[in-house]
Amino acid sequence: MKTASAAAEISKFARLTAVWLGIIFGAVWVTCWLVGVFLPTLVEQANFWQRDVTLAVANTLRMLVPILAVMVFIPINAMFMVLAERRALALFTVRKGPNRVGPDGLLQTAADAVKLLFKEDITPRGADAVMFTLAPIIFFAPSIIGVLPLLCAASANHDLFKVAGLPTGIFYVIAVASIPVVGIVMGGWASNNKYSLVGGLRSAAQAISYEIPLVLAIITVCLMAGTLDVVQIANKQSGGLLTWNVFGGGALLQMNLSSPVSILAGVSMLISCILLFLIYITGACAEVNRIPFDLPEAESELVSGYNTEYSGIKFAIFFLAEFTNLFVVCTIATVMFLGGGHAPFPVLEKPVIDWLAGVLQGIPREAGWLIRSFVQAETLCGAFWVILKTYTLVIFAILVRATLPRFRIDQLMDFGWKRLIPLALILLIAVTFLRELV
Amino acid sequence: MSTELKTTGLKTDEMIINMGPQHPATHGVLRLLLTLDGEFVKHVEPVIGHLHRAQEWQGQNRTWFQYQALIDRVDYLSGMFTSWALSRAAEKIEGIKIPLRAEYMRVMVSEMNRITSHLLWLGTYLIDLGAMFGFPFYPFREREKLLDLLEAVAGQRMMFNYIRIGGVQREAPPGWFAKLKAFTEEFPDRVDEYEAIVTKNPIFLKRTRGIGNLKKEVAMDYGVTGPSLRASGVPMDLRRTKPYSVYDRLKFEVPVMEGDGDTWARYMCRIKEMRQSNEIVKQCLDQIPGGTPEELREKRKACNSCGKADCPNCGGDLQIMVKKQNAGLRIKAGEGFEAVESPRGILGCYVVSTGGDTAYRFKWRNPSFSNLSVLPVLLLDHPIADIMAIFGSLDVILPDVDR
Repeated sequence: MKTASAAAEISKFARLTAVWLGIIFGAVWVTCWLVGVFLPTLVEQANFWQRDVTLAVANTLRMLVPILAVMVFIPINAMFMVLAERRALALFTVRKGPNRVGPDGLLQTAADAVKLLFKEDITPRGADAVMFTLAPIIFFAPSIIGVLPLLCAASANHDLFKVAGLPTGIFYVIAVASIPVVGIVMGGWASNNKYSLVGGLRSAAQAISYEIPLVLAIITVCLMAGTLDVVQIANKQSGGLLTWNVFGGGALLQMNLSSPVSILAGVSMLISCILLFLIYITGACAEVNRIPFDLPEAESELVSGYNTEYSGIKFAIFFLAEFTNLFVVCTIATVMFLGGGHAPFPVLEKPVIDWLAGVLQGIPREAGWLIRSFVQAETLCGAFWVILKTYTLVIFAILVRATLPRFRIDQLMDFGWKRLIPLALILLIAVTFLRELV
Repeated sequence: MSTELKTTGLKTDEMIINMGPQHPATHGVLRLLLTLDGEFVKHVEPVIGHLHRAQEWQGQNRTWFQYQALIDRVDYLSGMFTSWALSRAAEKIEGIKIPLRAEYMRVMVSEMNRITSHLLWLGTYLIDLGAMFGFPFYPFREREKLLDLLEAVAGQRMMFNYIRIGGVQREAPPGWFAKLKAFTEEFPDRVDEYEAIVTKNPIFLKRTRGIGNLKKEVAMDYGVTGPSLRASGVPMDLRRTKPYSVYDRLKFEVPVMEGDGDTWARYMCRIKEMRQSNEIVKQCLDQIPGGTPEELREKRKACNSCGKADCPNCGGDLQIMVKKQNAGLRIKAGEGFEAVESPRGILGCYVVSTGGDTAYRFKWRNPSFSNLSVLPVLLLDHPIADIMAIFGSLDVILPDVDR
């Protein structure tokens, strides 16, 4: 492909991303507004019932906002990610990618989703029908409930999302994120297919091996932040690039420049944290079965692994959940390592928020009586950075997929147990001491 | 057969898995009956014949002219070589010496065909190793350019039917040589690009180094030929050991790998071969008698393209065909065997003619068949994940096996 046409393809990709992000966050925003602002206000104004009943109904509606936002967000987001992945892969591999359905192929995944919905739902002979049906649900459900605390961090602790916050947020997220593997094993077992079974078992082995370094990396971050609450962890990284956990979590700023020990400790801290981030990314890739760790569905060996026998809507749910899981691990990385909703430079944060707040104040009362009570400048700004960072990580995962071949199962185990886990343990201990020395 | 774990007293059984014929990675319709002990292969039985089309029998029931078009389908990735082997066998019986320009054209298109075949192998092999969506498209970019050139000269992208008994089908179109020259100039850089992505990739090295070791003696016992044999350290290449056509006039290396003959060596051997083929095409472009089609056309203005055999501009070595073919093509009574070095190994054609317009007997010696036969030995005690890594490295084309 010539440079000019490559540039054209990139601009098309950017346009597509912009349109889809508009659709996603427009839909989420409308949902939040409807359930969190419009309906409660309506209930309160109408005042059908006694005062306390009215308040209870309105508050229940407000509390439903996070879960409804996630449930609207996830399917649309997964549809966008599938399309983005295909277009990005096409870009990386000098092709065009899907560009026929709708303008620039915008509606490709919508069409795919419709197709999958109308396909026959097959349960193979000899399969355990209950388990077979339950598997995609168990695979998918955790990704919905798992992101809730992260939502709280991503929206800069907006009033409507506060209810989703947990003092032990990251612990909950990690715990929930390890459930999907049960779904994979169930699906592999219930399919009554040798390839599926091997895929499911591989997935279990892989998840067990790679969750350990992943969690060790997260624990180290929690240790540095001194809390398990994702909102607080994100807020501790508010001072620009150097306070981000990936760059040492502020160790470089605290270090005493006159003491060589302190400088050494600060630099070691920086290196340790970058390594921890890489360990996390590797573990996350394995956790969500992305190349080079896509052994559970290794096409050249196991046909399609655990989802060989799945078709129609069940397959669609597996597919959806896979992309959602990728999104979730990328969001965790954003919140834990890359400063959450905070800008890389403080200059980009406070003035922008002030300016946005001014603009919001300027909206005339008649047009904005509901908007102003709901939209906050901090939330808008924070959400922007979270989205930017998360999708950058997603694109990075796609780039990795476009580059690397697949590990063999024993090499995978070898890499996980003999390299990553010892390294993560060493780094955990190193960080424990280094942060005292800085 | 069952083995007993002494510590726990648990019994484990061997599992029999049918890999294929409908498996996404078997490159067609090979069926492998695998006996697995856990993840490890204990016994393999390749079941072939799903693509049997009775190509030899069809040759005995079709005229020479018809069969030439059919035989490209035997090895669909290197159609030039099958038609070349057939043409050479028939020419041997007939006692034809074909013009030099036609020989050079044959070598040129065949080497281009070899590059396209190896490029396709490279892409699909990386798919076998699990690089599903990225790298495999890069070799196809170059393959596309070569196929466009082959299409321009032969009229077809896969079933060329270009090399005919007595020469080649037609002269190259104007501008073809220049385009091909431009391609040969840029191709080594492209191969460097592939090597930059693949050859030093640690995951790729882990998946290929020391896996599927094919010892020299075993390879020779099983009749393995082509790059798979040369990767085991046997310098056996018909183009060099028994030069045919104009290969004795061309300078090229035959890449032979030292060591155990693992899958990595087979990969490396093919990469090197692509560079050598590129060199051969380059030399052919310089050496071909008559030069480019444009130059030839200028020269032929002098004699008004008379087409006489003794004309210095039209006849002799500047022809591309001894005699224009037609459907009534007949070959003298006699028998002949000729072999060429195809991208997969030695491709031989044995033919008996009784003088009619149909051959009496055909027998093909297909490299893929012999190369596949060594698979059970190679796969023994390897994990399932390596089956495709090893099978892919042999570059077997199933229609070529089954004919």
